[in-house]
Amino acid sequence: MSYTLTGRIQSRIASALPALLVALALHRWWAIELVALMLVVGLVLDVLVYHRRLAYQAGWTAAPLGVVELGVVVGGMRALHIAAPLAWALALYALAWLSGQLAGHALFPRLRLEYAESGGELGRAGALTSLAVIVTVVAGLGGAYAVRPPTIHLHGVVQGPLVIRHAQTLVGGTVKGGILIRASHVTLRHVTIEGGENGIDVLGSQHVMLDGVRIAGVELDGIHVRRSSVMIRDCSVTAPKGPWVQGIDISFSMDKGMSMVEGCTIEGVREGIVTHMTMVDVAHNTIGNTSLRAITMGEMSMGSITHNDVRGARGVGIFCVDHSECAIEHNSVFGTHVDPGGDPTRSGVAIEAHYFARATLKDNTISASPGGIAAFDQSKLTRR
Amino acid sequence: MRCAIVGSGLASLAAYATLRHGGIEPGDIAVFGPNADPTEPWRMRAASIRQRRMRSESDGHLAPASFPGLAVRESLRRATPAPLFASVTNRYHPSVDAFLSHAEEVRARSGWEQSFRAQRVARVRAVAGGFELDGGGPFAHVLVATGHPGLAKPAGLPEAVHAYEPHEYAPRVAIVGAGMAAATEWLNALAAGSEVVSIRRREPVRRPLNVPRPLFSKRGLAAFHRLAPHDRATKLRELSTPSYPPGAAWDRPLERAASEGRLRVLRGSPEEAQRKYGDLQVILATGFLRGFTHDALLRDLVEAHALEAHDEWIALAPDSTVPALTDDVRTLSIAGVAGQWAFPAADTIAGAKYAARAFLRRICRTR
Repeated sequence: MSYTLTGRIQSRIASALPALLVALALHRWWAIELVALMLVVGLVLDVLVYHRRLAYQAGWTAAPLGVVELGVVVGGMRALHIAAPLAWALALYALAWLSGQLAGHALFPRLRLEYAESGGELGRAGALTSLAVIVTVVAGLGGAYAVRPPTIHLHGVVQGPLVIRHAQTLVGGTVKGGILIRASHVTLRHVTIEGGENGIDVLGSQHVMLDGVRIAGVELDGIHVRRSSVMIRDCSVTAPKGPWVQGIDISFSMDKGMSMVEGCTIEGVREGIVTHMTMVDVAHNTIGNTSLRAITMGEMSMGSITHNDVRGARGVGIFCVDHSECAIEHNSVFGTHVDPGGDPTRSGVAIEAHYFARATLKDNTISASPGGIAAFDQSKLTRR
Repeated sequence: MRCAIVGSGLASLAAYATLRHGGIEPGDIAVFGPNADPTEPWRMRAASIRQRRMRSESDGHLAPASFPGLAVRESLRRATPAPLFASVTNRYHPSVDAFLSHAEEVRARSGWEQSFRAQRVARVRAVAGGFELDGGGPFAHVLVATGHPGLAKPAGLPEAVHAYEPHEYAPRVAIVGAGMAAATEWLNALAAGSEVVSIRRREPVRRPLNVPRPLFSKRGLAAFHRLAPHDRATKLRELSTPSYPPGAAWDRPLERAASEGRLRVLRGSPEEAQRKYGDLQVILATGFLRGFTHDALLRDLVEAHALEAHDEWIALAPDSTVPALTDDVRTLSIAGVAGQWAFPAADTIAGAKYAARAFLRRICRTR
């Protein structure tokens, strides 16, 4: 079709209606933001590129142009920190693209006989629909902006423990005595925690982001998560106060959505990262000198353990246990040494499956670990 | 009776179906023309040149809404997505049979018979509140779709047969012209085993449709409508240059025939061809007479009402109406080839619908 500029704009906006309705039904600000981003990207391309370059646009070009726009939208999501789950983002984009095709090829020509010869212009009804879409999107963005969690910048040292009961973003500073998170949509960014029983204690909270937190000198867990879903990125847990300290413990969250631990450095604790009954991905972490195990995925947990660097663990490096299902891939395990207690399951095993656990292994690098890879007590290891 | 359609060909059926889609009852529409079957004149011409595929694409059908197009219908009928893929890549051209079959459906569904009157209108006169047709009426809104005024046959070739008349192929034929009909005839004659001399004045333009695609929409039409009359007439003459679609389906057989010496090109006249190549059957693929002056009804209309005209075209408003005879209570529209001043591809299905939709809008506005 040979679109006029007005036709392109009206057609694009009006055909975004299904995606907008789904976004509204989702009750998530990111969905509104994503629809707005898709519209902005599309309209900018319409004005600056498509209208100038495409005097006539054949139907098939919708596919490559759709891929290009998808790339720009995903890049825009990253740049603008739109916290949309990728699968949902792709689904929403696919819906918008598909509804654009169906509207352009079938619906609009049915509703407005002269749609094609009008260059995609939709007449008064179309203009009103487009206006309604724009107003809804702008109102949604305004709402998202108005109710976004406040950002609090900490300066210097704050005496804790801090208790967070409302969605907010906490940035910077040092908190002594730990932080308790009791609300969803909380983000900690570049906060240092010193001392306390648990460095960060998360209970019953969803969509919690811990980004670049530094934890030192705690007595029990560096990060302690229960009945919650968390995204932990680029953290560090060091200088444990006593022999019982765990780095990160995420437990009893199987029904709370996926959690993730990525890019953390954990040093000298009893267990580095441990999960119980949780869906979790553990990736790109560096864990050294643990006294019990470096990474444990236990008690019917499910998830992946990938691209981690495990050094100098006593007894066991990576442990998949108790009916858990673990995808263990691309990890490097070095220098796992024998626990002097004489337990054969702790004989410097780099990767171990235990007690009805199911683990699949692929492309792991193991060195200086006398126990190698081992399965115990009716568990199963599968190499791919 | 509020509306009248003068003419009973494809453009008339497209207009009638559009009016019916817009909620105008058959009792409010009169269709005047010689053909009870509106596809008949076109069908005969297509059969004469043995046309099997349409030049138009999926939306080249007579139903009011372009969706579902003929590709969708064929896809459903054959239970394959192939026609849809062909359509999105602009490679789908419905068969003539599929087009005519669908046209028959449209005719049957629209109630055409209820409005059709077997009467050839010779005179349209503006009267208060409308138009009289041969003294009958008046009708508030009239759409004239009388079609091509006749076949173009150069003088001095009494033995020649026009491509749009029934004919067979002699062992040696000269085909005059370089447009779609000529190209079709080249292939037909070659397939029949004839040797072909293509007589042309210029190399044919290769383009998928009759005019460049932007001229089918407001994008290209807006600039076209802004042209001064002289420039617009010049543009229309440019666009009337003979053309046929690009593609291997055309090129391969022609190249093969040329390499075998069965296809020759001559820039000259049929007489020169006869002199050079001996006795030849001459087939005139020269299209139709051009200009409203060849159409008695339109010529009379222009003269009687002193309508503005430029060269061979009646000056029309962008919505295909005659400005001097159209106002808040009455409409005179021209569809088909005589409507090129508003829509350069007026002699196509798309052109017929363009005029019909604008006509419907005016009727709805003045109800």
